[in-house]
Amino acid sequence: MNNENHTVAVLGAGTMGAGIATVTARAGYRTILFDIDEHNLRRGIGTVHGFFDKSVRLGKLDADDGRAAKEALSGTTELAELGPCTVLIEAVVEDLAVKTELFGRLDGIIAESALLHTNTSTLSVTGIASGSRYPERVVGTHYCNPAPLMKLVELADGRHTAGWAHRSTAEFLASLAKTAVVTEDRPGFIVNRFLIPWENSCIRALESGLGSKEAIDAAVPGALGQPMGPFRLLDIVGMDIHQQVATRLYEQLRDPRFFPPPMVDRMVSAGDLGRKTGRGFYEYDDTRLFGS
Amino acid sequence: MNEPVPDFPRIGLLGFGTMGAGIAQVFAASGRSVLVLETGSERLESGFAAVSAFLEEGIARGKTTADEKSAVLGRIAGTTSVAELGCVDAVLEAVTEDPGTKQALLARVAAVVTEHTPILSNTSALSVTELAAALPNPERVAGLHFFNPAPLMRTVEVVRALQTEQALIDRLVALVGTLAGKNAAVVKDRPGFLVNALLMPYLNDVVQAYDEELATAADIDLAIELGLGHKIGPLRMLDMIGLDVHLHATTAAYTATLDPAYAPPPLLRQLVAAGRLGDKTGHGFHNRCHSREDD
Repeated sequence: MNNENHTVAVLGAGTMGAGIATVTARAGYRTILFDIDEHNLRRGIGTVHGFFDKSVRLGKLDADDGRAAKEALSGTTELAELGPCTVLIEAVVEDLAVKTELFGRLDGIIAESALLHTNTSTLSVTGIASGSRYPERVVGTHYCNPAPLMKLVELADGRHTAGWAHRSTAEFLASLAKTAVVTEDRPGFIVNRFLIPWENSCIRALESGLGSKEAIDAAVPGALGQPMGPFRLLDIVGMDIHQQVATRLYEQLRDPRFFPPPMVDRMVSAGDLGRKTGRGFYEYDDTRLFGS
Repeated sequence: MNEPVPDFPRIGLLGFGTMGAGIAQVFAASGRSVLVLETGSERLESGFAAVSAFLEEGIARGKTTADEKSAVLGRIAGTTSVAELGCVDAVLEAVTEDPGTKQALLARVAAVVTEHTPILSNTSALSVTELAAALPNPERVAGLHFFNPAPLMRTVEVVRALQTEQALIDRLVALVGTLAGKNAAVVKDRPGFLVNALLMPYLNDVVQAYDEELATAADIDLAIELGLGHKIGPLRMLDMIGLDVHLHATTAAYTATLDPAYAPPPLLRQLVAAGRLGDKTGHGFHNRCHSREDD
């Protein structure tokens, strides 16, 4: 893809939307960040600018490139302004009704050749595409958090996704310097499909006295080549996020391995969500994530 | 050298296969002398060759030196006579995961060592409590479970059988502390202990999802490596472990628990039946010969 001839829209200015907009702007695409809420939009743009400023400060990006990346980004709260966009990436709240409704509203706005991407992590690409008049152009592209740093994108076609839309999407992801893996449109794709039962089994092991959290966190990475133990990872992910993802996957699969163990509910009720609240499985003085 | 004499200065090791060779190297590198028992001289030679090759690769990567290599090899001796194990300070068995074989050998060893010499097992699939029950003075029996490749993997599980005395657990934790880069985890004698109890259901789950064509083997591994930062993806890990080894371990855990999470997925049985055991046969989830031609 020729980055200069394309305008990318990122819909939803939350953590994932801002992260994805950072990636597309950095890759040289004119990028329009959309959010229905002016305050969210401003905060999202601030996040993207903050990332580029920090990259320049750390010497990872030269000042001209940082300025160009910031200039590539604009924001809007008007969906109609996304008309000229050739790739639209949906990263709004993980709610099927909200996503299908949004895709329906895009029907009358987008160009005939535009690609529609959804960053859903737990919902069906096919289900989301059902809201669009053009399901053949809807492709699942699931980025990892933090999107600017993580190379992986899971690429999933819906039942009606056209071959050309899949190929163009693969090219687009390559132009973002992302590594795409192709997966079926199944709940959790690959990473969450295996991560959620794994984390649940570690929580159950802790509750059943197989070992202390410290023992499990020390033993497991040393034997399996993981960067950190399961409870350190859960503290970074956030227990509320784990609960949401696990519950959504369970609702679709009805497989008890995905159901969050009772300890998850207790920790969420107690507000012990992990690093972001200063306490999860462990206590933290510093609630910042990823050094941001 | 003026270093203090380590606890368990002389280790008797039973078996010089993949695990035995790795464990011999780890103990020898800690300054201990290791006497390895095997059934024949060819098996002893291939064990020495494996240690030598591993250290040679370490030299090539700048992780060790030629002097260190010869020192480590110099501390390892081989024997085919059980009687020669009489003078060791602890015995660690790392022979094939067959209860009959292990019990028969440990009984012979128990007859030549002192009645208080610790007898340790590197089993990953059997109950240490059951092994201990068949031996005199079972309180001196414990599990000491290394992961493959033993010289690289940091975790060592110290397995407490129902009979194991606390003093031995303490000595073993201290022993692991003297092995370079190793961390001890004291675990109960449950099927799979701690790490494999968690790992096996995960690997079975991945095999089943692969069989259900969620994604290619390469993309599943890549997603886990890039998405979760694991050094190697699950299917590549299975190829390294050996599909037969995993099948044996997960079948044993299933038999012991009847927990379906340990039930071997059909594809795993079929790959083993077809002789596709992973790296050791050049063909498992990833076909090494093929991928070289394709790349």
